[in-house]
Amino acid sequence: MNYNLALNDETLLSIEKPERYIGNEVNSVVKDKSKIDIRFAFCFPDVYEIGMSHLGIQILYGMFNSYEDVWCERVYSPWLDMDKVLREKNIPLFALESQDPVKNFDFLGFTIQYEMCYTNILQVLDLSGIPLFSKDRTWDDPIVIGGGPCTYNPEPITDFFDVFYIGEGETQYRHIFDLYKQAKKDGISRQEFLHILAKVPGIYVPSLYEVTYKEDGTIKAMEPVFDDVPRQIDKELCTELSDAFYPTKPVVPYIKVTQDRVVLEVMRGCIRGCRFCQAGQLYKPLREKDVEHLKKLAIESLKNTGYEEISLSSLSSSDYTQLPELLDFLIESCNSKKVNISLPSLRIDAFSLDVMSKVQDVKKSSLTFAPEAGTQRMRDVINKGLTEEDILHGSHEAFLGGWNKVKLYFMLGLPTETDEDILGIGDIANKVAVEYFETVPKEKRNGRTIDIVASTSFFVPKPFTPFQWAPMNTKEEFLDKANKTRKGIMSQLNQKHIKYNWHEADASMMEGVLARGDRRLNQVILKAYEKGCIFDAWGEYFKFDVWMECFKECGVDPFFYTTRERKDDEIFPWDILNCGVSKKFLLREWKNALAGKPSSNCRSGCLGCGAGTYGVGVCFEGK
Amino acid sequence: MNKLRLKFSKNGPIKFIGHLDVMRYFQKAIRRAEIDIKYSEGFSPHQVISFAQPLSVGATSDGEYMDITVNSMTSANDVMDRLNSVMNEGIEILAIEELSDSSEKAMTAAYAAKYKIRFRESLKPDFDWISEFKAYLLKETLPAMKKTKSGEKEIDMKPMIYDYSFSEEDESVTLLLSMSSASTLKPALLFDYFFKSMDKEIPANALDIHRIDIYRLCSDDGKEYIEPFITNGTNERFYLNV
Repeated sequence: MNYNLALNDETLLSIEKPERYIGNEVNSVVKDKSKIDIRFAFCFPDVYEIGMSHLGIQILYGMFNSYEDVWCERVYSPWLDMDKVLREKNIPLFALESQDPVKNFDFLGFTIQYEMCYTNILQVLDLSGIPLFSKDRTWDDPIVIGGGPCTYNPEPITDFFDVFYIGEGETQYRHIFDLYKQAKKDGISRQEFLHILAKVPGIYVPSLYEVTYKEDGTIKAMEPVFDDVPRQIDKELCTELSDAFYPTKPVVPYIKVTQDRVVLEVMRGCIRGCRFCQAGQLYKPLREKDVEHLKKLAIESLKNTGYEEISLSSLSSSDYTQLPELLDFLIESCNSKKVNISLPSLRIDAFSLDVMSKVQDVKKSSLTFAPEAGTQRMRDVINKGLTEEDILHGSHEAFLGGWNKVKLYFMLGLPTETDEDILGIGDIANKVAVEYFETVPKEKRNGRTIDIVASTSFFVPKPFTPFQWAPMNTKEEFLDKANKTRKGIMSQLNQKHIKYNWHEADASMMEGVLARGDRRLNQVILKAYEKGCIFDAWGEYFKFDVWMECFKECGVDPFFYTTRERKDDEIFPWDILNCGVSKKFLLREWKNALAGKPSSNCRSGCLGCGAGTYGVGVCFEGK
Repeated sequence: MNKLRLKFSKNGPIKFIGHLDVMRYFQKAIRRAEIDIKYSEGFSPHQVISFAQPLSVGATSDGEYMDITVNSMTSANDVMDRLNSVMNEGIEILAIEELSDSSEKAMTAAYAAKYKIRFRESLKPDFDWISEFKAYLLKETLPAMKKTKSGEKEIDMKPMIYDYSFSEEDESVTLLLSMSSASTLKPALLFDYFFKSMDKEIPANALDIHRIDIYRLCSDDGKEYIEPFITNGTNERFYLNV
């Protein structure tokens, strides 16, 4: 245990939840500094409870600490009260395990999971006393490296990072650490080291690429400044998931965090090809883990953590071919240990309802459907293979099984959307209510009734999806659509059984700008941070007006990134990267979307997306 | 089925973990240690555990207690060893004792608690607090307003202080205070009113509070005395009203 905390008792007792800053959690790793060559500070740039819920950090934390010469520690965004204390008392931001200043580390890694955390990245750099700009850093500063889904378009934050790691972390870090040790031994410059890194597969060093623009503001070219640096960076992919490191001793927080359970990743990737979904493309091809391996991981993790709940993790667990066997095993072994099983992302059908009734309190739990759109036409456009019949049939079965709470998720602002699609949302919700009343006769309701929650989010087009060409709606259009949805629901016969929630439109617009932004946004993000923007992902702290002011002052038009029509052959900022699916395929899918034509999934028919070149996973099933 | 009483310490950074999180910590530790703990009935069964009076966040202790019920065990000592093998440093099971079925729960059987109190270095009073506090404790009555569920009520703290002693060496006071379901005196309240008696206000978080032990009430030939929840053969007794 580390008794030397960075902050004194008085300070820790004066702030909210001191447990966020004291480290020493079960399974956290403390090493002898004198025997370590590389110190890695791994940061999730949001508050502790969010960051501690992230599986990716737990995987790489465990993997890095399995290396004898590396000590990986964790860093999270200090909450606003702590931010104030650190600035007032001039205390540098510290990592949790050693409580040492982050600035003294060899690497500072950020996992970048959502666009709205960009100002928090600047906060962490700033509080650590690390120059915000990569170009201003020296060997006295850590190598600042970014990874995670947002690095598939890292252009808006290129000034602040030395390196981006594109793809799955399991493959190249050992190599990077060895190169670092060699660089230190050889006494080469930091700049030379970055140049060496740029040649490592999956590594993007943004300072080694020059961007030129056309008169209309779109990109003319992105060229490497050295001949020996790749023109395009290929995503790294872990080809043998069952052999890859997986943490069976994840760090167990003292305080309740968002994901407070053992997380068992059953597979990576998705066969579904929903056209709005970025994760579906980024993690292709789908790779399943061996079921015997998973059983072992589950038992070990539960034993090592003492958690009372285990959750299966994947983009669509119903597509895991060994699911029945895995669930049978878990139900049997967990029941005796009084461990709960949580089953997110299951398709509602007879099988899943049967399983759910075994592991959940039917009266308390709710059914979740994500039709995403209100009409079959719209669902064909987005390639969401869930029909109204699926929903009503699933609901019928569930109502017979005793469920009476239904959650429905939709998106507004999808390409080609019309009023009919918007009004269709109320329609589906009403039909689910009707299904309940027809399925469950009055005398069997026992005073209970149907309870439907319909939620809409605003669609944000993302890089490396067929919708990367799509114009995004304006805030006004979004709010108008939410209003129409609400009226549509209100006009339904069973409207009093339907509750409607919608998201903030301001935050969606900002997310849209950053998602498909380019290097010209770096200055805007910096200015926003300087003007006090932080925790933008938290509705109550998001300052839309300040952001708009920053765009104006920087002479950057935010709508260039959102509402603009993009031509088929436009060079996108993220074209410098190759995520494994070809632009040709994405364009083909975009045209299919506009024509309202659904596509097959990876198991029902290969679309030739390009992910087959990795030589593994679903692309080779049965071959 | 066996009922067990465990004594544990809470030192170091773990002092910042609140009571509810300490409970959650133990629930997980019991699973890691593979103790055959008894679960309650019902759809979401929980472990049968009860704790003595919660310790405030920031305070340390060498005398915390919890009672657990197990379906089976090799021996009480084995349960202790298993738990200690999965404990974080800072929390240690110090002693264990098997309870008879009729034993009162930890919560309700507590009668007093002993604390050692110092001032945190940066928040030390600028006056000779030990002399002043000695004088304060000698007063006939020590009135205070105590927050209760239904508002505030006036209490006299004097009879709730069973014993005290000072150490000039480490500038501390050791207090034996009432801590039962009927009446509990928290050290912080006593110091609040001590400062108030001098027209001063105690700075927030100024006290470094360490709980030494929790005591229960016993009687011996009609003479009432208190002893630690688990005596561990030390025969530490404190006779009341003598």
